[in-house]
Amino acid sequence: MNWQGELNKYLASAYKNWITSKRNIFTLFELFFWPMISLLSIGLLTRFLKVEGSMVSFLLVGAIALTILQVAQIDVAYVLLFDMWSKSIKNTFIAPIHSYHLVFGATLFGILRGSVVFFILAIVSRYLFGFDFQEGGLLPVLIFLAGVFATAAVIGIIVCISILTFGQKADVAAWSLSGMILLVSGIYYPVEVLPPLLQTLARAIPLTYFLEYYRSVFIPGPHHLAIGAFLAVFYLVLGLILFDRAIERARRTGILLRLSE
Amino acid sequence: MTKKPVEAKGICKRYKSFLESSTTVLQNISLDIEEGEIFGLLGPNGSGKTTLISIFSTLIYPEQGSLFILGMDARRDNGEIRKVINISTAKPNFPWSLTVQENLRHYGMLYGLYGSALSRTVGDQIDAFELGDFRDTKFENLSTGLKQRLSLAKAMLNHPRLLFLDEPTTGLDPDISIKTRMLIKRIHQEQNISVVLSTHYMPEAEMLCDRIAFLRKGQIVALDTPRNLKKHLGLGEKVVVSYEGPADIRALESMPGVLGVKAEKGRLEIMIDRNEDSLDRIIKLFCNARILDITIKEPDLEDVFLELAR
Repeated sequence: MNWQGELNKYLASAYKNWITSKRNIFTLFELFFWPMISLLSIGLLTRFLKVEGSMVSFLLVGAIALTILQVAQIDVAYVLLFDMWSKSIKNTFIAPIHSYHLVFGATLFGILRGSVVFFILAIVSRYLFGFDFQEGGLLPVLIFLAGVFATAAVIGIIVCISILTFGQKADVAAWSLSGMILLVSGIYYPVEVLPPLLQTLARAIPLTYFLEYYRSVFIPGPHHLAIGAFLAVFYLVLGLILFDRAIERARRTGILLRLSE
Repeated sequence: MTKKPVEAKGICKRYKSFLESSTTVLQNISLDIEEGEIFGLLGPNGSGKTTLISIFSTLIYPEQGSLFILGMDARRDNGEIRKVINISTAKPNFPWSLTVQENLRHYGMLYGLYGSALSRTVGDQIDAFELGDFRDTKFENLSTGLKQRLSLAKAMLNHPRLLFLDEPTTGLDPDISIKTRMLIKRIHQEQNISVVLSTHYMPEAEMLCDRIAFLRKGQIVALDTPRNLKKHLGLGEKVVVSYEGPADIRALESMPGVLGVKAEKGRLEIMIDRNEDSLDRIIKLFCNARILDITIKEPDLEDVFLELAR
């Protein structure tokens, strides 16, 4: 098979997610309603508490990071969730594909949707709260977004693995894992305020490092971007290996059939 | 040398789930399927047909046994196998909000089709399965028959050398079932592909299959051509005689070539072996009676099924 055929295998899940999303009115809620609610509520809270400028940026960066993380990770999870909900999972896995074909296309679409959300929230936060995302230039923004999207892909992969391991009950993971990130990754507070055990957990999550890096543009301080980048790549590779293993396991246990019934 | 579509030896499958006891679904299944044939898997519900077809199509793996599909090891070469096989199942499901064309396009992409080849293949399948009027209809709005046609069209996207059909007419109206069977026959003839078909509809198996394996409780209890199955099971022809007057039923039962007699008032159902000269002798037995009606019926697979499912 030539490269165009191989590329289309990667893009198949992006195509499916795109068609499904554009026909679903609730996509608008995912793209506009919830992100705006999240940004406005945090922004207005900073006004009420008369938070100083650097802290406003600290909180808004966290709110926006969490929002685009949720949008992008659900797109990766949708690659199996849509199949599971429509009971068509066996049609996907009878095709000659690997986990990376599914994850790549879905992540690509997640990046597209996440970028749209980021663009909207960046404009709104600038005009309503005077927060300029490009204050440190374009490069820090791109690095920050790359970290968020990589973390989103990892979470999406974990959801997919959970579905193939535990079946339909596991779809709750699609929404609860980002809640875990909210708690421990320093979205609204520095990880130093966490108990030691949770701090260790926070240090194992790439987003923690990307948040620290991007915030250092507004509030000078130390960051360990290289560790975050290493962790992101490590988890992505490990996630894809485990995803393939989960597919093999699902073929052994027969869960692929049960998910199609 | 041509490679057999399926070579299975000692296939076993158990389903295990957490904190629950395991269930044996298939035991020691061994069979070969020849190139170009339509091979039927028959059996009552729960006999293991779907599990076996899922194993042959590499959707799930067996626990024991060796399996070669088109000469390739089902475990080691499953990626290569999936390029040249496909499946259509009962009660087909596809992403709901995608139209017929979008679904075919999506699955075509998963098979590595692109550009004009993708558009042409999708268009060809839409035409071949008469889905043109429903090209832009979402899957969720299709009738059951149209969903089945879409499933067959999807199964032909990669021009498979081996096609698996798991109860393709289950749940369809009789007229749609007949149409679907004709479609399957046409695909098989035009594309010269090997087909493994599971069903519990005997007329379907009789109409389509070159050979049949009967499964019961996860084991093959018989495997042969429909004709030989009927012959070997001693299911001879059925002679139904309606009569008035005396008939010596005991003499009939002990007559050579008579395999069984079912007597009701004024009516006899006699199973005979046509190789014997039994029909003539039977008629002579009614010399003191008046025969009102006599019909001779070949046994069908329904009879075989009932015999084997006991």
